[in-house]
Amino acid sequence: MRAVLEVRDVAKYFGGVKALDGVSLEVPETGLVGLIGPNGSGKTTLFNVVTGFYVPDKGEVLLRESDDLVRIDGLNPNEVFKKGVVRTFQIPRLFNSLTVLENLLVTPLGQRGESLVRALLRGSWSGQERELARKAVELLKMFDMLHYANSKVSELSVAHIKMLETIRGLMTPAKLYLLDEPAAGVDYSTARKLFTYVRKLRDERGLTFLVIEHRLEILMEYVDYVYVLHNGKLLSEGKPQEVVSDPKVVEAYIGA
Amino acid sequence: MIDVVGFVISWLTIFGIYSILSLSLNLESGTAGVTNFGKVVFYGAGAYIAATLTTYLTLILNGVDVTETPPYDVRGIVLLGELGSRNPLMSLGLLVLSLVVAFVIAGALGYLLSYPIIRVGPAFVGFTLLSFGELMRVFLQHYEPVGGNKGLMAIPTPFGWVAESRVREVAYLGLVMGVLATTYVVIHRLVNSPLGRTLRAVRDDEVAALCLGKHVPKIKAKVLFVGSGFAGVAGVLLAYYLTSVNPNMFVPAVTFNVWAMIILGGCGNLKGSLVGAAVVTFVDRVLTFVTPYLGVTVISPDYLRWVIVGLLIVVVLIVNPRGLLPEEPIKTPALEVVSEELGGGSG
Repeated sequence: MRAVLEVRDVAKYFGGVKALDGVSLEVPETGLVGLIGPNGSGKTTLFNVVTGFYVPDKGEVLLRESDDLVRIDGLNPNEVFKKGVVRTFQIPRLFNSLTVLENLLVTPLGQRGESLVRALLRGSWSGQERELARKAVELLKMFDMLHYANSKVSELSVAHIKMLETIRGLMTPAKLYLLDEPAAGVDYSTARKLFTYVRKLRDERGLTFLVIEHRLEILMEYVDYVYVLHNGKLLSEGKPQEVVSDPKVVEAYIGA
Repeated sequence: MIDVVGFVISWLTIFGIYSILSLSLNLESGTAGVTNFGKVVFYGAGAYIAATLTTYLTLILNGVDVTETPPYDVRGIVLLGELGSRNPLMSLGLLVLSLVVAFVIAGALGYLLSYPIIRVGPAFVGFTLLSFGELMRVFLQHYEPVGGNKGLMAIPTPFGWVAESRVREVAYLGLVMGVLATTYVVIHRLVNSPLGRTLRAVRDDEVAALCLGKHVPKIKAKVLFVGSGFAGVAGVLLAYYLTSVNPNMFVPAVTFNVWAMIILGGCGNLKGSLVGAAVVTFVDRVLTFVTPYLGVTVISPDYLRWVIVGLLIVVVLIVNPRGLLPEEPIKTPALEVVSEELGGGSG
C-alpha cells in the first residue's frame, strides 16, 4: 500500500528539550493507524509539525500528491489544510457561539459566499449552500446527531463536542485525518461508538486516519497498525497485538 | 418654547450618522472580533475627504485661484459662503464624489492598517489603532492645506441651494436615512452569508479557523476594508451636517461612544446597533437641547453625558450580559434544508 503521509527523521527541539528526536513513520492509504505513548512523548508535537504549527528543526514531512510525495513541512496551517490534511485537537476547538450546523458549514473550501462581493448576491451561493447543508445533514444522521443541528456548541455534552469536532473535519474530502485523542473524557460505550464510526468511514469511503489515543484497550481493537513514541523517539511499531506484547512498550508505560 | 420638530430632525440625523458607525463597528468587532479602537480614524478621514474635496473643488470650479485664496483663509470662507449654494448640480455632484472617494480611501486605509495589526494580539490591535487615531489628529492639527488647528469651515452642503431651512434639514435627513438603509442592507447580507459565518468562526477560535484553511489575516483585512469604508461614509455625512471640520472633533472618545452603542445594543446583533445608537444619541441630543434653557447650573449637563451612558451600560449588562438584543443564528438556506429534514423525520 502506498504511503499518504511520510515523516522522515523529524526532530523538534524546545531549548534543551527534545520533543521529537528523529522520528520516522508512514501512514498508508486507507490506513487506520494509532499513535500512542506516555504523556510528554511527543505525539501532539508530531501533529503540530505535520499540520504546520511548528517547523521541524530537522527532517521532512511528505504528503502524497497523485504519484509523488511532496514536502509540506514549513507550510502554514491553512496551507496544510488545503493540501488535504485535517486535524482535531486534544482539547476540542469548536466555534462555541455557532450552532452545530454552522460549525460543520465553516469547513468546506471554495465556498462562493465567502467572497466579499458574492456574499452580497444570495443567488450566487444559495445553491452551493443547500448542497453543503445536505452533506452536513447526512453526516449528522450517520453520527446520530441530527437533532442537535440547531443547538449551540455551548449546550452540548463532552461526548457530542468530541464527536462534532471529528465530523467537522469530515465535511471536506481530505487525504488524511489526524485525530488527537477523540475518545478522551468520553464514556466507554460512546468512545467505542466513535471508533466504530471512524472504522466504518475508512472501510466504506476509503478515508485515512492517524489517531492519538490514550485509551489503549479501545484503540487496539480498531487500528491496523500502531506506532509507539517515547521521549521523542520511536520506541516500537507493528500490529496491535505485537506492540502490546513488546517488553519495551510495557516498560515505558508501567516501568520507571 | 422648545422646538420639538427641530429636535427630532437633529436627533434622527445624528442617529443616522452614528448608526452607520455602530453597524460597521458591529461587523468588525461584534461579528469578526477585531478590537477596533480606532474607528475615529476612518470617520475623521471621511469627514476631511468630504470637506477638502468640496471646499477646494467649489472654489476651483468657480474659477477661484486656490493658491491665492485657499478655503481655510478668511476670504476663502467668505467666497465659499457666496458660491456654495448657487449650483444644485455641482452640490449634489460633490456629494456623490465625496461619498465614493471617502469609502474607497477610508476602506483602503483600513485594509492597509490591518497589515501591521494582524501581527499583534487582540488587545494590541486595539491600542495600535487607538494610537494611530491620535497620530492622525496631531498631523491634521499641523497640516495647513486642511486648515491646521482651525480646520475647514463653510463647507457647501448638498442641499445648500434649497431656500427654506426646514426643507433643507428634512432633505438632508432623507439622505442620511437612505445611506443608513443601504449600509444596513449591505452589512446584513454580509453577516448572513458564508462569509459572515467564517467571520464568527475566526472570532470564536482563530487557531481552529486557521486549521480549516481560513486565511485569517486576509479575512480581517477584508472586514476592515468594509467597516472603514462605511465609517468614511459616516464621516462625509457628518462634515456636511456640521458644515465644518476640525481635528479636535476626532478624539478617541468618539470611538468609545460607538463602542458604548454596540455594547448596549448587543455585540453581533445589527438591530441592537440601531437601538444602541438611538439611545446614546438621544441622551446626547436631549442634553444639548436642554442646556441653554437651564441657565446657570452647579454641574454642566454636558458632563452628565458620560455618566448617563456609563450607568446605562452597567444596568443593561447586569440584566443581560449580552446587551439588549443578543446575537442571532446566521440565516442562510442551510436552515431550511435542516428544518425539512427535522420536520420530515418526526412526522
